[in-house]
Amino acid sequence: MAHVPIERHQLDNGLRVILSPDDRTPIVAVNLWYDVGSRNEERGRTGFAHLFEHMMFQGSANVAKGEHFALIQAAGGTLNASTWNDRTNYFDTVPSHELELALWLESDRLANLLPAMTQEKLDNQRDVVKNERRVSIDNQPYGTWEERLQALLWPEGHPYHHSTIGSMEDLSAASMDDVSRFFATYYAPNNAVLTVAGDFDHDAALAGIERHFGPIPANPVRPPTPSGAVPDSLGGEIRETVTDQVELPRVHVAYRIPPFGTEGHQAFDVVSDLLGTGHASRLYRTLVREEQLAADIGAFVFPWAGGSTAIACYATARPEVEIEALETRLLAEIDRLATDGPSEDELARVRTLHAAAVEGGLEQVGERADRISQYACLFDDPEQINTEIARYDAVSADLVREVMAARATADNRLVLTYVPADDDDDAEVGTDANDEAAA
Amino acid sequence: MTAPNPHRPAPGAPRPYHFPAFTHRLLPNGLTLWVVPLPDREMVSVHLLVDAGAASESEAEGGIASLTAESLTTGTKRLDGHAFAEASERLGIELTADSSWDVARAGFGALAATWEAGLELLAEMVREPRFDEGEFDRLREERLADILQARSEPGRLADEYFLRYVYGDESPYGRLSAGAPETVEPLAVAQARTHHDGNWRPDRSHLVVAGPLDEDAVTTRVAAAFGDWSGTSPGHRTIPVADSGGRRVVIVDRPGSVQSELRIGHVGIDRRHPDYFPAMVMAGVLGGTFSSRLNQRLREELGYTYGARAAFDPRRSAGPFSARAAVQTEVTADAIRETLDQLDKMQAAPPELAELREVTDYMIGVFPLRFETTMGAAAGIEPIAIYGLDHDWWATYRDRVEAVGPIEAHQAARDLLRPAQSLILLAGDAARVRGPIESADLGPVEVVRPADS
Repeated sequence: MAHVPIERHQLDNGLRVILSPDDRTPIVAVNLWYDVGSRNEERGRTGFAHLFEHMMFQGSANVAKGEHFALIQAAGGTLNASTWNDRTNYFDTVPSHELELALWLESDRLANLLPAMTQEKLDNQRDVVKNERRVSIDNQPYGTWEERLQALLWPEGHPYHHSTIGSMEDLSAASMDDVSRFFATYYAPNNAVLTVAGDFDHDAALAGIERHFGPIPANPVRPPTPSGAVPDSLGGEIRETVTDQVELPRVHVAYRIPPFGTEGHQAFDVVSDLLGTGHASRLYRTLVREEQLAADIGAFVFPWAGGSTAIACYATARPEVEIEALETRLLAEIDRLATDGPSEDELARVRTLHAAAVEGGLEQVGERADRISQYACLFDDPEQINTEIARYDAVSADLVREVMAARATADNRLVLTYVPADDDDDAEVGTDANDEAAA
Repeated sequence: MTAPNPHRPAPGAPRPYHFPAFTHRLLPNGLTLWVVPLPDREMVSVHLLVDAGAASESEAEGGIASLTAESLTTGTKRLDGHAFAEASERLGIELTADSSWDVARAGFGALAATWEAGLELLAEMVREPRFDEGEFDRLREERLADILQARSEPGRLADEYFLRYVYGDESPYGRLSAGAPETVEPLAVAQARTHHDGNWRPDRSHLVVAGPLDEDAVTTRVAAAFGDWSGTSPGHRTIPVADSGGRRVVIVDRPGSVQSELRIGHVGIDRRHPDYFPAMVMAGVLGGTFSSRLNQRLREELGYTYGARAAFDPRRSAGPFSARAAVQTEVTADAIRETLDQLDKMQAAPPELAELREVTDYMIGVFPLRFETTMGAAAGIEPIAIYGLDHDWWATYRDRVEAVGPIEAHQAARDLLRPAQSLILLAGDAARVRGPIESADLGPVEVVRPADS
């Protein structure tokens, strides 16, 4: 396995900086994680962290609206940003000789955003985001599933109760005053991690980072992130059925599990692969291949670190298959894993698949930088990028059984079912949001 | 917008970068082997390209090429479907096979330590497929379910109907390469066997291997795995293409939609078109990047959409050109007018040098990013192998992009865009969008319901 070099620095203003050199290709990634996401939003302002991310592309004191995109692309680079529950990340990959351009652009909007903000730009991006919500959620079959899952798994007021995209109503309510306050509160160097990975001159990169980011003041009064602590169990099965513009019924099953960064979460990461990764996985083998009840299946964990997160599985019924029958078999497969645990052969299979996927992901400097920032931002431990495979491989069959017995229980279960609307019905369409939202 | 900014740091000196050196050789059985040695990488990518795509099937069997490819992953004579999946996944490999119009592909990515075992499984899968009847029938039913699903997704619904109305009934390109329900439904495993037997042959096939390997070692392994694979194939037919022509509006009714999935376009260009580079640059200015005219106007100025794009989809025969966006229902007619307006402007005058350079500089500068991974490097060989492009395609690529100026891009817009004959297709709520569209006088308006067709 390739070892990813990690060199840590911190500027006087608190900005955490990580350098990870790799000169195989003359390109370099600049990646910033701000420790703010939808979990930090105020009541009545769902979706604001993501809307704010869009405003970060609307120009700053020395950069015109649209110019960040234009300059990076003209330099031969790629860029974007995304917002999720725990964070907002901004990332550029550029040819090596344009590193300082990316540093300058990222620093100018951190240092000097507000002079460029206008009501007109806010109104425009509010419309864009509402259309993002429509295209990814409201106008998609099953599009509301993640939003509903969050609303049902965590109580009102919990940081994960609402989706990242937010509600139309709250998006409408966002004001210029909100933009100023949010920026002043969260967009400070002491609330961010900057990773530079790829081909760069070490001393020149450090000097450039100090030159562009060093003068930006810290915010000493950044409020604490709200606690996401909840009981381990839902305390009773929750069921919801949604009538939607879909052709085939689909059932989602989810459980509250320990947060990202814990051993229990790591075990559920393995569980999700045992159930749903590859054509030899349990759900594919039984529901798709052998019994032919499902048209497709999936299983995954949400990598959220704030107190509690979830594992979710789904199966879409083949035409003519009753969704109740599919649900019964899906739950039976989950229970079987909880009872019997995985075989050593199954564990070996998912470990090898996982190792290859990690190595494949790390081929790209952009991906490497993003994972380094993730571990640094969430856990102050960027070195975790080098133990991903070891941590995964450490999950034993006993641990899988143990966490499944504790969490994959009927009273900690959410069952969310989508059924087709009759032709004459108006489909019920959700009014709130979610998914990892990109700029 | 691109006026020099006094604060902008000056770029340093670029480090030279070239597409990785590669070799190719014709094996005695007709298989062409391409090797891209990447000594400092950890992963290996193996892509087998076979002239067995949808262009090698008959219209009566539409979808058989795709189902045949997919069926290869459901087991070999030695291993049933599940055992085969286990065998490859134990190596950390997910073997895939699929097909498009122009090519059928089978391959995998692997850690270097397991690539040889992966190659043997790939050869077994391609040469000794099981073609189990139960598995084939399952995949056929899943395909039918997917086609059904696609019609509930507004974007895929619009894509399907756009092709149908642009190409009409006369050209196979009027359908998806995955087939239509009426041709997929009667397919049986015997047809997959026949399709495979006739078309999955070495003589028109290419094997691309990229990774930390040297050519001799790869050749030895490939000769062992594929050397005695034999037979010849007829190759693809020429897909006839005729634009069904004329400006018109087709609304695929999807009651209750909060957005309209918009597709505006016509028949475009083939992959070997002499104006390929001017066409790509021009389409980039129009709708290829975030800064493109369509995205700036429809998203960043008007807020009608999350994103607007335009692109050619060059194939062996002329594939479609389309401008596309999902726009809020209320502004559908305005969004159509704005899009047509941008097509008109592209034809009316050459692009500004600065906006054109933004696109060409991007295409030139992003070159090393495209080939950063072993899979990217292997994918770089594909168009050379499939379309018979010159082997110096990537060596000359950046110069050929650089050579496109405003005059060439303008000429491409005039020759290759036809806004006045464009099909305007949308999937959306007909009851709400039809009135404003008719008032806008965009051409004859037809409303279809997916269930009717």
